Amino acid sequence: MSRLILNMAMSLDGFITGPNDGPDNPAGDGGMRLMEWLDLKAAAEVGDFRPRDEQSRIVFDEAMSTGAVLVGRRTGDFAGYWGGDHHDGVPIFVPTHKAPADNPYELVHYVTDGIAACVAQAKAAAGDRDVMLHGAYTAQECLKAGLLDAMEIQLMPVLLGQGRLLFEDLKPDHVELDLVRSLEGPGVLHLRYEVRR
Amino acid sequence: MGGPIRLYMSMSLDGYIAGLDDKEGQELGRDGGRLFNWLDDRHGPDVNGQVYREAMATGAVISGRRTFELAKRWGGDHHDGVPIFVLTHHVDGDEPLPGTAFCTEVLDCATRARAAAGDRAVMVHGAGAAQALLREGQLDELEIHLVPVLLGAGRRLFDHLGPDHVELELTRRLDGRDAAHLRYRVRRSD
Repeated sequence: MSRLILNMAMSLDGFITGPNDGPDNPAGDGGMRLMEWLDLKAAAEVGDFRPRDEQSRIVFDEAMSTGAVLVGRRTGDFAGYWGGDHHDGVPIFVPTHKAPADNPYELVHYVTDGIAACVAQAKAAAGDRDVMLHGAYTAQECLKAGLLDAMEIQLMPVLLGQGRLLFEDLKPDHVELDLVRSLEGPGVLHLRYEVRR
Repeated sequence: MGGPIRLYMSMSLDGYIAGLDDKEGQELGRDGGRLFNWLDDRHGPDVNGQVYREAMATGAVISGRRTFELAKRWGGDHHDGVPIFVLTHHVDGDEPLPGTAFCTEVLDCATRARAAAGDRAVMVHGAGAAQALLREGQLDELEIHLVPVLLGAGRRLFDHLGPDHVELELTRRLDGRDAAHLRYRVRRSD
């Protein structure tokens, strides 16, 4: 059964970007610090982000074996939809109020009839595989709607001080989690939580 | 060399250390008690007990004024009669109990607490004190009891830090029941 899994790097103080994020500054000021668990040097040289560390590699490979990507409109726009292909040509679903008139990407599907419909479509497309979720606002929408199954958080050992919070604007109802796995790589702690329903 | 100044705080994954409306009579905020379930095991043999015993072996306490008053000044004794240093903006006429001292200067507070603790660690309590010490470069370590829950609202541990990154190093990880105890060392650029 396909499951919806949030995948985000977060600072210990809860930020997923630095301040002043925008189309020309997608990670915000200093926000690329959060991406340092990926092998950015190798990425620059050979276009491969796969980490060398074994523990980080487990998490990376799991994300890259998902069967669909669900991404918020803002995050997707900022990332340029990864040139139209996040990994392996899997479809990318984007919940939005209004689809753009022009969509140059064959794999990108805008869904305008609500977050639940968007998740359902992504899961159907993923088949037996999981759906990877990316983006803070969309993660919050999925949490509020009870649609999120699990979270894979890359907890980075840094206090960013400012930026965009991963968890904001949730209602003051507890969401209970179970920590089901923690893996330590150099400069990163991978925490996997199941969301209790 | 003396022991480190170490923050001890229970925090939800979304960064809260208390629920909404923390005040007298509801010191942990609405449902904030959820963050302290792990302390049910504090006298046990396992990881949660170990972390609690370490905290209780610290040689001095630094607290923010707000936390200090909400905790009813711990009746003048947080644990084992170690001295309590309270960061405050102003010292009023209210005489502190013996063993507690008000400090208006962060550096002075840290210096006195270090001296009092000797070789032992200094325990820091409260978001305000933690942030003040961080800003002054006086916080050496953070022991975060990361609780697997999203509280959604309340008082955040890290606010008002400003835009400068504080680099940390994870030096120990102990997975206890209902809390991952993460110890970080604060890295200094100097």
